[in-house]
Amino acid sequence: MTAVQPTRGQSIRSAVAVRLSPVVARWNAFAQTRGGSVVARMFSTNAAWILLLLAFLMLLFNYLAPGKFLTEFNVRTMATNVSVLLVIAVGETFVMATGGIDLSVGYVLLFSGVTSAQVMNWGGRDSTNYGWDIVLLGFIVALGSGFAWGVLNGLIVAKAKVPALIATLGTLGMSWGLAEILSNGQDLRYLPSIMGDMGASRIIDKIPLVVIVAAIVAVIGSIILSLTRFGRYTLAIGSNQEAARRAGINVDRHLIKVYAMSGTLAGFAAFMNLAIFTTTTISGHANDNLQAIAAVVIGGTSLVGGVATIAGTTIGICIPMVLFSGFTILGLQSFWRDVAVGAVLILAVYTDQLRRRRRERH
Amino acid sequence: MRIRTVTMLGLALITVAACSGSTATTASNYKLTLIQGVAGDPFYVTMACGAQAEATKEGVTLNITGGNKWDATVQKPVIDSVTAAKPDGVMVAPDDSKALLAPLKAMSDAGIKVTFVDTQLDDTSFAVSSIATDNSGGGTLAAQTLATLIGDKGSVLVVNVDPGISTTDARVQGFNDEMKKHPNITVLDVQYTHDDPTAATTITTSILAAHPDLAGVFATNVQNAEGVATGLKQANNTVVKTIAFDAGPKQIEDLNAGIVQGLIAQDPYGIGVAGVQQTVLALKGQATTKTIQTSLAALTKDNVNNADMQKYLYKATCS
Repeated sequence: MTAVQPTRGQSIRSAVAVRLSPVVARWNAFAQTRGGSVVARMFSTNAAWILLLLAFLMLLFNYLAPGKFLTEFNVRTMATNVSVLLVIAVGETFVMATGGIDLSVGYVLLFSGVTSAQVMNWGGRDSTNYGWDIVLLGFIVALGSGFAWGVLNGLIVAKAKVPALIATLGTLGMSWGLAEILSNGQDLRYLPSIMGDMGASRIIDKIPLVVIVAAIVAVIGSIILSLTRFGRYTLAIGSNQEAARRAGINVDRHLIKVYAMSGTLAGFAAFMNLAIFTTTTISGHANDNLQAIAAVVIGGTSLVGGVATIAGTTIGICIPMVLFSGFTILGLQSFWRDVAVGAVLILAVYTDQLRRRRRERH
Repeated sequence: MRIRTVTMLGLALITVAACSGSTATTASNYKLTLIQGVAGDPFYVTMACGAQAEATKEGVTLNITGGNKWDATVQKPVIDSVTAAKPDGVMVAPDDSKALLAPLKAMSDAGIKVTFVDTQLDDTSFAVSSIATDNSGGGTLAAQTLATLIGDKGSVLVVNVDPGISTTDARVQGFNDEMKKHPNITVLDVQYTHDDPTAATTITTSILAAHPDLAGVFATNVQNAEGVATGLKQANNTVVKTIAFDAGPKQIEDLNAGIVQGLIAQDPYGIGVAGVQQTVLALKGQATTKTIQTSLAALTKDNVNNADMQKYLYKATCS
């Protein structure tokens, strides 16, 4: 990073501002194409299109399965079943906004779940009747485990300059292996019963707690991504890493923070997963990484970074679940679900590329 | 605009195409759904065949679905969606005896009659009936057969799926209890494959390398049996005797080719039939049998072609 030399009459701060101004100018132009208001900035046109797609799907399934698809029960359970994935996908959005990718999220989740459950059951005792202090300890351990893997990812990507695809593929294997070693390949099935209660509880008897928690995470993520300097730097790095570096952004440190964020959110998701399933579900989560990436991409995040919205990711998460639930309710053969989700993913990226090319031509 | 229209049309087309390829059947009064433990497994395909035949006989509609992996986190959305579809009764093979208690309880609370087929939850109080093979007895039978085959001495390996699956846990329990009565046989640490045949292959070849005196292997389900057979073939080993649970088409081939020496076959067709029968009884308000144990058979090269053994051979398709 080149040292910022204050010219005569300028303070260091304003000199940095001058370096940063191309980035800010680009961001303002980006915002202005969408009207410039806070709401418009958070809601890109691609998010609007896939929202339309989601609405169409829900109406289609409601038409084909009246009184079964758009019921309070089904909407509630669909929302519960995407809540863990949404938290992971928020972290993935930040990583992909920098032009990187995080393949390790599913197994970091597993690892964090295992460490959290083991600490809560420390000493081989059955934690079923333990209280909130132990649950809090488990929560901190889950976050800490995720954070540790995230920092490791960030260091490998930013400092060792290993491509993110390879780096996170490596940590994927390591975290899975370590999770298997720590747990001896066996699910831990004893957790404080208050956690299971939390996983099943509902606010005002209608909205599950886990859904509200996931929504809060998404909202905070959206605010950070679109309204704070952290988010701006993230997008700037994805848009043009070298320009961001020359504008004075400490790219290495920022990348480490972004990957750490992704890891910590995976740890957070792990804790939610423990509460919902009351076991560590070791044989699962194999495809969480790909599902999160698919959601992020369907939501309009560019694969090379620079453009990303959490609103898009949220809608992107819902579309595969809506397809899954709709197809199952209609009694269609299970494998058609996978066909449909794959098709939607390709179409979403294709249309995104088309729009991008059209915009660049102007 | 055109791309958007094309996408919408395309999705609608996929939905319609999938509709025409579905496994819906004759229309009638009761609607039942079978939730397999995993879709595509010959054991569950055969169970579906039995359930379908019984459903046609009783004049009820049967829908068959399942996740594409043996995974509680994959099966939960399936269970939730089936509950939303409001069938009258559901036969289900839960992938985990504890993690799926909440969604299945919700299904029962919604007024749907729940029957456990093959696997079950730790808590079976709200189920109409639990139908399974005597898995513990199957494990015992496997141990006895294997002990005879290896001359009652040597090391044996158990290749299991995952802890927490009621059926395979019981098989291993029965196997271990019986092996305690054979002091000259050492049972090595049980290995888990997460229902992945490739993992079973790797485990088999690794254990063979580490224990050259390995005499026998017990594979606790179809996927493991396939993987173990491949592993032995790769290692060119004809000394190790293998007993596998389940008699899928590939396992029968292996049995005839001498790669596997014994198969403990369940009666998934019978489980499917009983599942539909019990659920319909419950829907009609009649008494049901809380626990049903279906039969097992030990298949070897000698008896596999006998007429009375044919019902124990699993199918890959129903025809």
